[in-house]
Amino acid sequence: MPGKQDISIEPLARVEGHGGIKVEIQDNKISKVEVRILEGPRLFETLVVGKTPEEDLSIVPRICAICNLSHKYAALRGLEKALGVKVPQATQEYRHLMHHGEFLESHSLHIYFLALPDFLGYNNAVAMAEKHGETVVKALKLKKFGNKIMRLMGGRMIHGENPILGGFGRLPSREELIQLKEEALELLPFAIETIDLLATLDVPDHMERETQFLCCKPLHDGYDYYGDSFLTSDGKEHPAEDYKSVIKEHVVGHSFAKRSAYNGKPFTVGAIARVLLLGERFKGEAKKAYDKLYNERWHRNPIYNNFAQAIEQVFSLEGVIEVVDKLLASEPPKVALPTQETGAGTGAVEAPRGTLIHHYKIKDGKTTAADFITPTAMFLDDLEEFIRTGGQTMLARKQKENIELEFEKIARSYDPCISCSAHLVEVEFK
Amino acid sequence: MAWKQKALVGPKPRVGVYGFTGCAGDQLLLIHTEDELLNLFRAVNIHSFVMASSKPIEEALDVAFVEGSISTEEEKEHLLDIRKRAKILVAIGNCAVNGGPQAMYAGDTKYEKRLEQVYGNAQFVSEPLEAKPLDAYVTVDYYLPGCSIDAKQAFPLISRLVHGAIPEPYPHPVCHECKLNENRCLLIDKRFCLGPLTLGGCGSACPNHNLPCVGCWGPSDDANFTEHVKLLESFGMTKKDIIRRIRNYGGHKILKYIEKI
Repeated sequence: MPGKQDISIEPLARVEGHGGIKVEIQDNKISKVEVRILEGPRLFETLVVGKTPEEDLSIVPRICAICNLSHKYAALRGLEKALGVKVPQATQEYRHLMHHGEFLESHSLHIYFLALPDFLGYNNAVAMAEKHGETVVKALKLKKFGNKIMRLMGGRMIHGENPILGGFGRLPSREELIQLKEEALELLPFAIETIDLLATLDVPDHMERETQFLCCKPLHDGYDYYGDSFLTSDGKEHPAEDYKSVIKEHVVGHSFAKRSAYNGKPFTVGAIARVLLLGERFKGEAKKAYDKLYNERWHRNPIYNNFAQAIEQVFSLEGVIEVVDKLLASEPPKVALPTQETGAGTGAVEAPRGTLIHHYKIKDGKTTAADFITPTAMFLDDLEEFIRTGGQTMLARKQKENIELEFEKIARSYDPCISCSAHLVEVEFK
Repeated sequence: MAWKQKALVGPKPRVGVYGFTGCAGDQLLLIHTEDELLNLFRAVNIHSFVMASSKPIEEALDVAFVEGSISTEEEKEHLLDIRKRAKILVAIGNCAVNGGPQAMYAGDTKYEKRLEQVYGNAQFVSEPLEAKPLDAYVTVDYYLPGCSIDAKQAFPLISRLVHGAIPEPYPHPVCHECKLNENRCLLIDKRFCLGPLTLGGCGSACPNHNLPCVGCWGPSDDANFTEHVKLLESFGMTKKDIIRRIRNYGGHKILKYIEKI
């Protein structure tokens, strides 16, 4: 078909925040793909200048509600390095528990409520409930459990202030911990059923292309969601402090979000990157889930991110059980205090949707500079490339029907967080 | 203080849930009330809730719930359009009510300069505006403060609107809830806390964890700002530090309370 045709999907539904997709087709070729970030800039990096680390910890999680505790965790890891806080091992374990809670909350929200309606042909999960009532009810239970952990460890459902420098304001009781373990054991069969459900879904192949992956390298030889260095799919390892030379940021005109490249090319972060780089480390039911779902198309197909999240749900439920056992055997830790008032620190964690980096400079107890690199800002370029390839293939196959839905599916599979990515665009002066 | 009846809505009101600039936490809170979510979708006619559902219907609405600050020209236009279509408009969350943390420097007249410092002369998708609450541009019928909003406040308000009744304002400060929870007052131990200045509704979430209130529900109209600042100064904090912290979540609405301090 000669001539120009525009496809505009706006607003992009069932993602966090306000965005859209614009695709231009010229003479039957995709001439332009823009994932548009339409939320206004919030300038968080400038908001924290002049504040105490304590205020930073309260303010920065407000970048994003879904992964507010990942932001808190990255901030804690960065600020504690800057201020020389020696965090006790038991406190680390409580943080892992908190982090598992957020992964369960975020992944269950995405898999069942934002992504699955596409595969089963509904506009939303409530409409889906008419035929798939049991799945939706169980999914709500799983999400509720994730939220329960976030409320318990965070201090409330969203933007809790309980995690503080060196520890927590209040720790959960033994009874509360034991109850979490019992609930995790109860929910594990449903998370495993989900693996079987996903295994039956047809995954489209139109967008497949080679790409690169990045994630945090855990501090032990198991699978995990945090680290002090990054692993990349070219087999290299990079210290977290070097993030600026590893992840090159640039600006595009059509969105309020920074873009990123590794080796001059787009890359993917998130559950699929973690499972591809660390999947051999799974144990227990998570390993069984991995063996069941993984295939070599994952390297070229972001739709499998939904599958990777489902494996991580299993991993995190098993993780809750393991951490609770450790905590029940340990003494409640004391809050560790700063040993210096001036310093710099980089904190890296895996948020549910990918690697999250916070960097702080503190002088005499006040913040002089801060930098946040969010997963969505990292993967947007790669997401656009997948939409481009998918569109090209669909045009070549003369597959015109549902082309918009297919673009939306690609975008949603990344579980993009637009609030996170819209916080700042920096322009270099030349 | 009571709210007046704004408009009557019938059974199964047509509802829109919208999000502008913010963290999406207020919409997320609605999605996260697992025990109520299916009932909510059944009790009302959800015409638009883009975060939860595709294919929105953008026509006349009985009630619009709007989250986020207005931070671009496009958002302003969209808000004006929602106001035209909605019988009742409810501002949900700190960003919509006060402007949010992105409005903590409200009124310093340096927005243009800050923007230029960060962006240079970049071209924007939509012209950025200094973050403002919804009522800077439209009439807001009811306010649901919080960062994020709390289900215990949100669902009574939604239920009343669904049943054609008038919601009630909640003018009590955090201290009120903190006393009911029998917490030891942090101020007795000369610890910083913004509970006396801040609207309640969170159930004193932070003091319950032996942590200070950071003020995230925004200012309470009954608060004595002058005396509280003096009290905090007597703990050894400087006025500058105190005012800076008060402003973190006060947005535009805090200005009238602190201008004379």
